[in-house]
Amino acid sequence: MKSAAHESVPGAGHRPIEFARQDEGSLLDLLQDLEKRHGFVPRDVSDEIARVLEVKLERIRRIQGKLESTTRRDVQQHVERWRAEEGNLIMILHAIQNQYGYVPREVAMELSRELGVKLARIYEVITFYHYFKLQPPGAHNITVCNGTACYLKGSTDLLGETRTQLGIAEGQTTTDRQFHFEVVRCIGCCGMAPAMVVDGKTCGHVKATDIAGFISTIKAQKGATK
Amino acid sequence: MSKLTREDLETIATQPYVDPLEWIRVQLDTGGIAAGAETAFSALANARNERHLSFSLLRAGSVGYSFADPVVEVQSAGMPRIHYGCVTPEVAEAILDQHMAGHRLLEDHVIATRARSMELTAPVTHVLVCDTGPEASSKTQFFQFSFNEELKRRGLADRVQVARALDIGIYNQGAVVQLLPSAVTYVNVLAPDVARIVAESVENGKVLDDLLCKKPDKQVRIALRHCGNVDPGRLDDYLRRVGGYQALRHSLFDLTPEQVIAEMKASLLRGRGGAGFPTWMKWQLTRAQAAPQHYVICNGDEGDPGAFMDRSVLESDPHAVLEGMIIAGYAMGASKGYFYIRAEYPKAVERIDKAIQEAREQGLLGEKILGSDFSFDAKIRLGAGAFVCGEETALIASIEGKRGSPSPRPPYPSVRGLWGMPTAINNVETLACVPAILAKGGAWFSSFGTATSKGTKVFAVTGKVRNAQLVEVPMGTTLREIIYDICGGVLDDKEIKAVQTGGPSGGVIPVQHLDTPVSYESLQQLGSIMGSGGMLVMDKTDSMVEVAKFYLKFCVDESCGKCAPCRIGGYQLLQILDKISRGRGNADDIALIRRICLSMQRASLCGLGQTASNPVLSTLRYFNEEYQAFIAGGPAYARKMSRAATGGAPAAPTAPPRSATPPAIPAVSMGAEL
Repeated sequence: MKSAAHESVPGAGHRPIEFARQDEGSLLDLLQDLEKRHGFVPRDVSDEIARVLEVKLERIRRIQGKLESTTRRDVQQHVERWRAEEGNLIMILHAIQNQYGYVPREVAMELSRELGVKLARIYEVITFYHYFKLQPPGAHNITVCNGTACYLKGSTDLLGETRTQLGIAEGQTTTDRQFHFEVVRCIGCCGMAPAMVVDGKTCGHVKATDIAGFISTIKAQKGATK
Repeated sequence: MSKLTREDLETIATQPYVDPLEWIRVQLDTGGIAAGAETAFSALANARNERHLSFSLLRAGSVGYSFADPVVEVQSAGMPRIHYGCVTPEVAEAILDQHMAGHRLLEDHVIATRARSMELTAPVTHVLVCDTGPEASSKTQFFQFSFNEELKRRGLADRVQVARALDIGIYNQGAVVQLLPSAVTYVNVLAPDVARIVAESVENGKVLDDLLCKKPDKQVRIALRHCGNVDPGRLDDYLRRVGGYQALRHSLFDLTPEQVIAEMKASLLRGRGGAGFPTWMKWQLTRAQAAPQHYVICNGDEGDPGAFMDRSVLESDPHAVLEGMIIAGYAMGASKGYFYIRAEYPKAVERIDKAIQEAREQGLLGEKILGSDFSFDAKIRLGAGAFVCGEETALIASIEGKRGSPSPRPPYPSVRGLWGMPTAINNVETLACVPAILAKGGAWFSSFGTATSKGTKVFAVTGKVRNAQLVEVPMGTTLREIIYDICGGVLDDKEIKAVQTGGPSGGVIPVQHLDTPVSYESLQQLGSIMGSGGMLVMDKTDSMVEVAKFYLKFCVDESCGKCAPCRIGGYQLLQILDKISRGRGNADDIALIRRICLSMQRASLCGLGQTASNPVLSTLRYFNEEYQAFIAGGPAYARKMSRAATGGAPAAPTAPPRSATPPAIPAVSMGAEL
């Protein structure tokens, strides 16, 4: 990257198209390079870069505006649905979590403006209940049930095995955001304990040795779809 | 859709329900779906379309046979009605081929009916055999073989089929034989009896009195009366098949609210959520408060891990709960009701939502119900994974959209509840019982049960039990009957160690108290509670210290942190238990545990903190020696001691392995604390 930037900048007389193609990192490198070589940045170069940046900034603002208006529209829709009801905050949060998979910060802020409720109070509710999440979920979710029936029938082994296989602890997501590992209290399938939910599919009578198979199946499916 | 009126319901009540001749009903509840009920359903639907068959394919909730999910019920002309368990798509195909077309029962999938008859009302067409003694599988085949031989000898083989059953509902009674369609059941059948059964019962229609199983099934189904019998997604089915909403009609038009409460008083129904407060009194107290608005709340926040009664009732019979709620609203003058259901139960939420919508469309909810002057509407509020929200005041805070912190009582919710108005909070099971009580009378309901605890109770029996399932028994049934007679005893024929009831707020009941009749008081005396109905069976390999730690960890995670005894006490208690379970405890720890437990019980704000120490105290009460073994010699030593006790012999007098213990531990004599 760096060497390419060097070659395209012989000193002066740059064509504007070259700057527009650079990303911010290489523009910075370029400026530092010029400064080192000449002791200053030529006026025409700095003007040109400023103009290019202005264009980029405008684009980013537009993207941001689009995102915000989508967020606002979503939040308004949810709020409208529950506007007339008393004590609607939890139900709206459920709707938001169903849509996004978690409660994003900007959505919570928008909700605070829309409902006229302090952001602190919204976060008080979100953090109190286990069900609401503040982090986006992984692409694939692996949930181990740790209800009493499952516990008695060996969910501790399943937890340990999943931890080893994925290399993460409960409640964490792998660094590539592919797997999210969760422990739940009880999924109500005590008849088939110990139970796990892999990507929405409940598996009963699971043995610790099955887990590697579940994970490699998911990985293989991903490979196939690629 | 036109709204139903009083007259419509009266007409429905007089018209007998005509069942279609042939149907297959798939039990689609969460447990069943997880085990593959939907694939079985679609396999049946596809096969029906492909082969142009005429049977009706119905949906239902679960009858409670969780051990055999997915379960399918089949009604076919000329055949007894049969439950099939473990129905994979292949089995579903086989049901169509063999059962529907060939009039033959499938091997190894039949769950025998629990309604046993005393007399042969019709010629025997099918014989179910199942050996329930030790080495069951091989003997079942032997009995099937000898029945077949005997039938052949008498030329009956083409008229009568002998099939092996998956489960016959009787355990440890030797070989069990059920003659269908009358469901006459013989127990302790020996090889020489086979010829007699064929000669007398099959050929001549006479009942053999010496073999007959005279004990009727111990279950009495009131709250679960429609579960598995009715389509939870169709109001019409509830109205016509099982006579739904007749109790509501009766209450609205024949009774005053006071009379409804009087009927509840006669039934002596007590809250099924666990505390056992009389339902009628709760309604009376709420009614007595003058206020512009009263509320009814159905508590479906079933947070106990290992319990699934409320989920099953909500999923399998949502209209019964809704009907109970409307009647409750009428009795206490409330016009609004809330279902508070865990978000982790999406199927239950979906079905209650559908039930509310349908009821509203048909005029069973809303303004002027059935043309009376009573108006009522119900809504759903979702829980969000907080155990403490099962507590009344925290539940109310959660419905109000706040964090679920409990508040001190009094004032009780019946005085100041939801938005400051009088509120009655009833458990799912309580509300499901209400229509049955009003239809059949309070006296009928109170004819079941013990002196202080009337009626029946639903239990979800899980853990190390052979047939994990939902059972509903009259109060006063013993734990042994529930575990051994209904659920088939301990898994893999191991020795039972204890039963845990009441979830994280309950305690363990050791094996020597298994013959205690179940009632609110008797369980409390044993240091446990009735709770909402989770019942976990533990065998000799389960460590009680670990179990106590498991429950305590749950409560510590769930503590809302408002009051110090629960927040700090629970955490410290967990630290000590953790230390003990790692073999690093010392003799003073037990006294410390007791002191912390006491202060938590006395000083905590709500039920969660007050009862969080119950599992610890009750394991300490009955399994002190196990704690001592952990302290004296660490986990490995404790396991060894526990195994040694399995043989019935006194604990082996070996000295604890000193090398494995930290030097600071004082020597504890094993016998001293026993």
